[in-house]
Amino acid sequence: MTITFDAESLPALQEQRIQHPWRKKTPVFTWSVVLATLIPLVIVGALFIWGDIPGALLMTVVYLPLQLIASGFAAFATRGKRGILDSVIIVNAIGATIFSLVILISVIGSLIVRGFSALSAHFIYQNNVYVSPSTPLEYGGIGHAILGTLLIVGISALIAVPIGIATAIYITEVRGRAVPYVRFFVQAMSGVPSVVAGLFVLTIIVATGAFEQGAFAGGLAYAILMLPTVARTAEEVLKLVPDDLRTGALALGSTRARTVFRVVLPAARTGIITAIILGVARVIGETAPLLLASGYADSTIVNPFGGPIAAVPTYIFNNVALPYPDAVARAWASALVLIVLVGILFVIARVVGRGRLSSK
Amino acid sequence: MATAEFGSLDEVGEVELMDSEVSAPVRKETEMSARDVSVWFGKRKVLEGVNIDFPKQTVTALIGPSGCGKSTFIRTLNRLHELIPGAALAGSVLYEGKDIYDRDIDPVHIRLKIGMVFQKPNPFPSMTIRGNVLSGLKLSGMKRSDHDDIVEQTLTSAGLWTEVKDRLGAAAGELSGGQAQRLVIARALAVQPHVLLMDEPCSALDPASTLKIEETIRELSKDVTIIIVTHNMQQAVRVSDYTAFFLAAENEPGHVVEQGATTEIFGNPQDQRTLDYVNGRFG
Amino acid sequence: MSSTETEYRDLKSAATSHRGDRVFNRTVTLAAFTALAVLAGIAVFLGLQTIPAFESQGLSFLTTTAWDINTDPPTAGIWGMLYGSILLAVVGLVIAVPASLLLSIFMVFLAPKRVATALTNLIDLMAAIPSVILGLWAFYILNPSAEEWQRLLNQYLGWIPIFQNTSGNFLGTPFIAGFVLAIMMIPIITSVSREVLARTPPDLINASEALGSSMWTMLRYVALPYGRGGIVGGVMLGLGRALGETIAVFFVLKIVFEVNWYQIIESGGGSVATLIVSRFGEVSGEFELSLLLAAGFFLFVMTLIVNVIANLIVARTGRLQK
Repeated sequence: MTITFDAESLPALQEQRIQHPWRKKTPVFTWSVVLATLIPLVIVGALFIWGDIPGALLMTVVYLPLQLIASGFAAFATRGKRGILDSVIIVNAIGATIFSLVILISVIGSLIVRGFSALSAHFIYQNNVYVSPSTPLEYGGIGHAILGTLLIVGISALIAVPIGIATAIYITEVRGRAVPYVRFFVQAMSGVPSVVAGLFVLTIIVATGAFEQGAFAGGLAYAILMLPTVARTAEEVLKLVPDDLRTGALALGSTRARTVFRVVLPAARTGIITAIILGVARVIGETAPLLLASGYADSTIVNPFGGPIAAVPTYIFNNVALPYPDAVARAWASALVLIVLVGILFVIARVVGRGRLSSK
Repeated sequence: MATAEFGSLDEVGEVELMDSEVSAPVRKETEMSARDVSVWFGKRKVLEGVNIDFPKQTVTALIGPSGCGKSTFIRTLNRLHELIPGAALAGSVLYEGKDIYDRDIDPVHIRLKIGMVFQKPNPFPSMTIRGNVLSGLKLSGMKRSDHDDIVEQTLTSAGLWTEVKDRLGAAAGELSGGQAQRLVIARALAVQPHVLLMDEPCSALDPASTLKIEETIRELSKDVTIIIVTHNMQQAVRVSDYTAFFLAAENEPGHVVEQGATTEIFGNPQDQRTLDYVNGRFG
Repeated sequence: MSSTETEYRDLKSAATSHRGDRVFNRTVTLAAFTALAVLAGIAVFLGLQTIPAFESQGLSFLTTTAWDINTDPPTAGIWGMLYGSILLAVVGLVIAVPASLLLSIFMVFLAPKRVATALTNLIDLMAAIPSVILGLWAFYILNPSAEEWQRLLNQYLGWIPIFQNTSGNFLGTPFIAGFVLAIMMIPIITSVSREVLARTPPDLINASEALGSSMWTMLRYVALPYGRGGIVGGVMLGLGRALGETIAVFFVLKIVFEVNWYQIIESGGGSVATLIVSRFGEVSGEFELSLLLAAGFFLFVMTLIVNVIANLIVARTGRLQK
């Protein structure tokens, strides 16, 4: 038997286009989705315009159940009974996502809208010495508080970063017998409430009298909160350094210490920076520990042991509930400054972190 | 180059390398030797009673199927083995007439004299090419001033100089696998080791790079004692003077089946298993 | 020669036999125990402060609710605050747990990859919002609309005991404070449960899909049971955060020294952390300060227990999944 190929009976190759057969939708499916999306929207829209029901109430009490029912019908039409529960999950999951986004947008949006009114150049660098809550916005600023925040965060970083990185080095490089315990303590420490960190520093002040309320005390309290973040992030990034490099260095006659300082830490440099940034971002907005440990002042202070000092969060705290619109506006503006600081740190950490991953 | 540094080797006499029935082709001073080395990981014994002498300025190939303990063995020779948790060892490794596992011996000093090149090229990514070559000096705290000479000399020995001499400041990560491996060899040479351990240095490389490295090995053996683990039988024939054949039965620790001059092991093996292995019948 | 007879050398100590490394090791080890030292320091320093509290109040420091420092003898107890902390946390959890679970389901199983990545970033950003800012927002933005919602709840569902309100004041309620706590817990719980759900082995998902399972059955019988431990751990971590939260609650909750048992939309409640900050500003003297420090001790113990349990659960499921 001979087999002959009839070239013309074969499908012509050049006519084939890229296709995704699994993406083909039946008309029933398309219509179900369209109707399930439109009908609840139209009903709710009509009620919103002609009915006398507040929007938010309308969304939860009318729209959500309506959407659930509509989606259920659509799912039933396309996939039968088993589709109904799926549609319930999908609608609720999308609902929960929108809920979270609405809150996030509301927080950030309100900061921008309300914060801008009091924001000005002098607001960033002036201090609050000659300002009373009723002073108009042309005067005064949070320069002293920004400086205080930087000072306090700087002190805490000086304390927490070396200890945190050393803790990570103990876990990933020295690999001593106590590793599981050290990990456990670091995790337990990360759960210490910020107000307790402040109280602890306060008791040290009360018990020893070695220093008073001020930037140093605030830095100590912040360091307690910063240490676990730095240690845990640094541990993660040091783990990413391949063991080849460690043995490579040791095989060259390097000591453990030199291996760590000259090979492992440089290889993980960007990750270590991320760890520090995340540590700073963790503490920079904390208020409760500063209320207890560093107090508040209206003047600019640069001495860590120079007595009570202002920081941005405590400045906000002091202005929030005052019955003067300008004081409240100042609080919003400082909150905006604070969130911008946090946002910058956040973006730097992301960018640096991405660089680390791509350079691998 | 390294020979100038050789200290007193009076303790080490001339050693006859082969068993008496095989006539030794050459007699050379012994650089280092393993005596009854057995190795454990935790409770599991992976190597038993290994006795090998490594003559000075020769190349010794360690061959055998995977899992027979050759890589483990080579790591006991410069005390890298002990970095693995649960590692244990019996017997002794003699270098300059002393047991390198003696209590008063500093492992850092041992690793300085007995360098190592690994399976996967591991240049330090945070350093330049030049920085990598000199990294050994920095890491071991050696003080030497003639840095430019060292860089040129070692890179030449490693057969990499002509390829990188114009971009010594480039990041080491830019090199290809074969170049990176030769850079690592240059890095190991910069601290002037007496012994160079190579754990399958070509297994991650293409044939052309492999050939280059083999040339490098032959060249280096004029100055340095080289011990190389390889899975490539042709490579063992091409580069080595002596060969030791490792084998491990299932669930048993590995041991040396046969050792001797490479020509003998491959040309006239005494053990049936060696014959089977070098002819590619298993492993 | 039999090698098994030779001396067996344990190499553990040999690994650090270089002298410089011993110094290095010791320094690093010392630093690694800072965490323990701080925890112990907190326990001891704050623990000592419970002595004056118990000396003057006895066990009723833990079981009464009044806070009358200036009477003779003074009476002070933190029961209402301890209970309040738990009530707020429960309100927060009731909102945060379903929201976080649904959110993580959306991110892992429903959203396109780009959307999921963007959401991950946004949720991380949400976690980074300082609590003082959340408090500010809650005080000025959330309060008015929450007041309206609570009025409606009371109007239509007031027959349910938890929605009772007798004062007509709908501000400073445990519901609002719990809602703010929920906003703080959502990013924590979401990021943990997103991770465990994403680690559901594709084999299991494929297997269940090959059996013709729907999304619901896949979640119900594969993904959620698989990630249960991690999710519970994440919830506990969120709970730890909620119990310790101070400033945001301080802005929206009206602290009263009575126990508000269940009326979550009635003005007034308490929490230990908030008690400390609210009384600290006008503390009457050393005695009251030591009462606050003692309260801080119990807050520390409470969050420590919750956190340790949470971490044990997360660690155990992490190990099981490997």
